[in-house]
Amino acid sequence: MTTVALPAAPMTRKGFTTLTAVQARLLLREPAALAWLAVPVVVVLVLGSIPGFRTPQAALGGQRVIDVYVPTCAAMVPLFLALTALPVTFASYREKAVLRRLSVSPVPAAGVLGALVTVIAALAAVGVLTVVAIGALVFDVKAPAHPAAALAGFVLGGAAVLALGLVVAARARTAGAASGLGVPLMVLNFFAAGLYVPVAELPQTLQRVCEFVPFGAVTAIWSGHGPLWQHLLVLAGWTVAGGLAAVRFFRWE
Amino acid sequence: MAVIEVEQLHKRYGDEVAVADVSFEVEQGEIFGVLGPNGAGKTTTVECLAGLRTPDGGRVRVLGLDPARERDALRQVLGVQLQHSGLPDRLRAREALELYASFYRRPADVPALLDRLGLTEKAGTAYKKLSGGQQQRLAIALAMVGSPRVVVLDELTTGLDPHARRATWELVEQLRDTGVTVLLVTHFMEEAERLCDRVALIDAGRVVAVDTPAGLAARAGQRQRLRFRPSAPLDVEALRALPEVTAVSRHGSLVEVEGTGNLVHAVTSLLARRQIIAGDLRVEQASLDDAFVSLTGNR
Repeated sequence: MTTVALPAAPMTRKGFTTLTAVQARLLLREPAALAWLAVPVVVVLVLGSIPGFRTPQAALGGQRVIDVYVPTCAAMVPLFLALTALPVTFASYREKAVLRRLSVSPVPAAGVLGALVTVIAALAAVGVLTVVAIGALVFDVKAPAHPAAALAGFVLGGAAVLALGLVVAARARTAGAASGLGVPLMVLNFFAAGLYVPVAELPQTLQRVCEFVPFGAVTAIWSGHGPLWQHLLVLAGWTVAGGLAAVRFFRWE
Repeated sequence: MAVIEVEQLHKRYGDEVAVADVSFEVEQGEIFGVLGPNGAGKTTTVECLAGLRTPDGGRVRVLGLDPARERDALRQVLGVQLQHSGLPDRLRAREALELYASFYRRPADVPALLDRLGLTEKAGTAYKKLSGGQQQRLAIALAMVGSPRVVVLDELTTGLDPHARRATWELVEQLRDTGVTVLLVTHFMEEAERLCDRVALIDAGRVVAVDTPAGLAARAGQRQRLRFRPSAPLDVEALRALPEVTAVSRHGSLVEVEGTGNLVHAVTSLLARRQIIAGDLRVEQASLDDAFVSLTGNR
């Protein structure tokens, strides 16, 4: 979902592959971290099983509640992973001096971060596809009006929140500090993606504001609200700004 | 050629000088100790050697490589066990070794290394669930997994129980026997006396002395101390009159005599002439411990 930092010369390809495999195993071994997949899937299944949510609503422009919530639930996956799992994992490595030990091995700084981002991006892709597939196969949710735009939205949105997650990871000294910074960002994106109240039912001004939050832009692309170029520009802007800030503020210890 | 060269190393953090002026050389195959009280600048010296910090002055070379500029080449030949370093909680011992092995061009055989460090039975155990001694052995294994030519061990046995400490010492000796040069940072005198071929004593960022442990102890003087429990009342003044004796004190029924030269012979002869038997006789000679105290002026 984002450009992966290429392993620098001193690190072998085998080293990078092993590091990535270990990161994936560790992330899947963390029971609490499985929330990234479990919560969105459960929410989709629960909402979809309420009969009233499967009938068209005038307030939603003739769409059903479940139609609106599938992209929102899919958005939860990259938000969980990029804004909590990534910074909390990385900060705990800093807190427990795992990074200090790695720093005397041939692994360059970018290697660890690259491996973690690779794993997070892959898991996010799997999670988003799972939620969308449940929507389509179980609840007959229609594909978005412009599938290519929706795909681009999720890819770019994922990159944007990964970049923001990296900013938190770059600075947070402890796992606690990382979740203290990451969780509010995640909740803000949940809101803008319409998790608490469907965006279409919000006041006009607030709807406009939400379009400038990364996953507010992503869900707007999915539902076809507002100009596509503006949403893509918002996402690219967050990705570039976040990436630059992460590089600027990065600290090993 | 010296394997490690440190010449007039200087490092400060802001206004605080961590290392003022440290110089020493370590020869191929040596176990070289860096000894000193807490805050003496030992860890900063190690961090400059490992390329984690750039010196503000002086010259550091490891196997002819400049740690600050040739980090990548250095990482392949230098194994480092750092004080205060960890692994992810859920990473298992074997996974940790296999992971680190994959970083090196000439990795050691992981099952053999597990076996050598007595970790075979714990290979599938998560890092968090290992005991302190097992975590420490894993740390040593990680420092060895790249088949390094030089190994730096910082506060290797701090926090280990005496049994685990002795087992760890044997490991270091085995390491040296395979031709690896070892730099051992410690504040345990016993550890330095047991393991090190030579020792650099560092205090307040400066080298106070570089010598063998025995040589350092000798610098602390030829002072000897005798303790015994006389079998009959003993005239302390007669002991004081002996030319070898410098001080006599009583601690309950115990008599303590300090002096130089052939102190043991002089005291025991006197006791024999008076038909007094010296019970619980103990003889102490100046140790590295004494050298440490007298040369650094604190402990």
